[in-house]
Amino acid sequence: MAIKSSKETAVSVGFLSPFMLLFGIFLIFPIFYSFYLSFFGSPTDYSLSNLEFVGLDNYVRIFTDFQFWWSLMVTAVYGLLTIPLGIAASLALALLLDNKLFGKSFFRSAFFLPNVLDMLVVGVIWTLIYAPKFGALAQLTTFIMSEDNFFNTTGLLGSPYTALPAVVFAMVLKGAGFGMVLFLAALQNIPQAVYEAADIDGASEWQKFWNITVPLLKPIIVFMGITGVIGALNAFTEIYAMTSGGPQVVIGGETVGSTSVAGYYLYKQFESGNYGYAAAISYMLLIITLGITWLQQRLAARKSAQEVGK
Amino acid sequence: MISQHGGKMSPVRVFIFIVLLAALISISYVVSGQLFKFGGMVITAFAASDGMPVGDGAAPASADVMLKLVPVFNGLAIILTIALTILTVRWYIGTKAEERATFLKKMFLYEALVIGVVVVLFPFFWMLCTSFKPSGQELIINKSNPFDIVPSEPTLQNFKKVLKIDAASVAMASEDPIEQKKNFGTYFLNSLLVATTAAFLVTLFASMGAYVFSKKELPYKQQIFMLLLATMMIPGMMFMVPQFFMICQMGMFGTKWAMFLPHLASVFGIFMLKQFMDTIPNSLLEAAQIDGASEWQVFRVVIVPLAFPIILTLFLLTFLFHWSNFLWQLIVTNFENPLSITLPVGLALFRGQYTSELGLIMSASCFSIVPIAVLFLFAQRYFIEGMTQGAVKE
Repeated sequence: MAIKSSKETAVSVGFLSPFMLLFGIFLIFPIFYSFYLSFFGSPTDYSLSNLEFVGLDNYVRIFTDFQFWWSLMVTAVYGLLTIPLGIAASLALALLLDNKLFGKSFFRSAFFLPNVLDMLVVGVIWTLIYAPKFGALAQLTTFIMSEDNFFNTTGLLGSPYTALPAVVFAMVLKGAGFGMVLFLAALQNIPQAVYEAADIDGASEWQKFWNITVPLLKPIIVFMGITGVIGALNAFTEIYAMTSGGPQVVIGGETVGSTSVAGYYLYKQFESGNYGYAAAISYMLLIITLGITWLQQRLAARKSAQEVGK
Repeated sequence: MISQHGGKMSPVRVFIFIVLLAALISISYVVSGQLFKFGGMVITAFAASDGMPVGDGAAPASADVMLKLVPVFNGLAIILTIALTILTVRWYIGTKAEERATFLKKMFLYEALVIGVVVVLFPFFWMLCTSFKPSGQELIINKSNPFDIVPSEPTLQNFKKVLKIDAASVAMASEDPIEQKKNFGTYFLNSLLVATTAAFLVTLFASMGAYVFSKKELPYKQQIFMLLLATMMIPGMMFMVPQFFMICQMGMFGTKWAMFLPHLASVFGIFMLKQFMDTIPNSLLEAAQIDGASEWQVFRVVIVPLAFPIILTLFLLTFLFHWSNFLWQLIVTNFENPLSITLPVGLALFRGQYTSELGLIMSASCFSIVPIAVLFLFAQRYFIEGMTQGAVKE
């Protein structure tokens, strides 16, 4: 037996080693390497090998860096807009489609299609739609209103108040089909008998929606919340494509980008050669992500414990 | 929902019907008119005299063709709309009075869904239309009908320019061959090569690994699997700085290898394949072993064919990931070398040079959007199931 199991182990190692090799080099090692790099500053010359050692300075700098905390706040706002709107839009589409309809699979595919398309390209197209003077929106509003309207002079992406909501609108439309498919599958699993029982009790459509449909869809809503948080913390491409972090605003004497989310700020630090600082920021983001995930799981666990208690 | 009015005519219901009918007429006319015109426009653009040959001709002949075709498209759209209206009215009259509320609900549903599709897909339709518009005319809108966005003078000039096969670029080719190489044909091939190689290697390594986790013995197997899953919690941004340093120190900056090498270990892929392989009965493997199959043969002849749908799903999803992996490809691209520029990076670069040339940017965008949309058309089942699978398991 011992011979057989050691042979089995050898075969297993053989099958697994290509993956584990890549996993170790490109996913495990970088976690420690990044920590090492976070004690260094910018390169002293044009090669990457001569970084200046700065000790704990990068971590001290994070706590006094207003732009970093501002970018975290923008990220939070971005998430707080995208997640509820995304859930609402996909639920609305799913409720429309959850009927006996001719051509149902056509609608399902059409709504899902934007999900598979490249984020950067979609962002560029939306930038051109929002663009003042030559964008699609500016052309339409000029036709309806005077030439001197907001969409034609400034454009949605040109004002610090509307830039982030405009990005959110584009991203919600791009992602709505994904949540729709999830909701649709869940809706079709709800037995019709539950609704019939509610009908007998004289429940209105609205009551049925809030007291039957929504609680039964809760796992999907929670899932979309979690992926939405991760999506907001990883947001970069849509901001790069549509606003480049701008338009700039001055708050308390500091110039900050009104759409500069954490991911974009990290890239900016990287691009300007502050590699050590960028590594320190990414550690900070890791801690925040793990904290939020832990909190969400605690909440979910407590909720389900309460339900069992009932 | 069943009406209390019984067989009597309800004025409210008739009013709702008329409103919905008006919406139906306008939606049908605009959507079908634009789609007909779009189809004719694409054919005209390719068939017209300035279509295929390289070089700037005189006034585009496509405009003359379109001038004759537009009334035909309008007529078709009107006929279709009238037919649809008559059918709907007859249908409504033929419906029993107590079922009319359901009929109106259905009608509303369809209209809402069609409007939804129009809103969601409008950016891509506008992209296609604008990419055929002659330079300088992107800004002009049809004053009599602002919903008419299909160009009336289609041209392929934009596509020729982004492929650098127009007269001006060809003349420059011998002077600056590197600049000539910087075109979207090259970027498209680069992206295709990177995404296909990556998808092939990821599915190969992930299916070999998943086979071990699902069917084989290995000390500390569960612990290793938990370690893999734990790394899925780490945001991708975390790896940008260290992976960039590693790629540079390996001397691979600006090569095609750098574009995908750090992303070859797909934990998601292992997880997805293991879930599926757990459903393959062990008796099949044992039967193959009794027949004298070697370990590799068991994997290749039993596991791979049985898990093929899920392997194909992983292949397509990985292809998609590397087709759109913008941030990483941006930081390891050497902009001097056109062979290292992929589609999204190329578009970002191109947009910086031609900020307001709508037609050029849109035709460049087509190189990324159209192939994926066509792929989706044929393999949508795999895409939708694969992308939503993680959530359903929850």
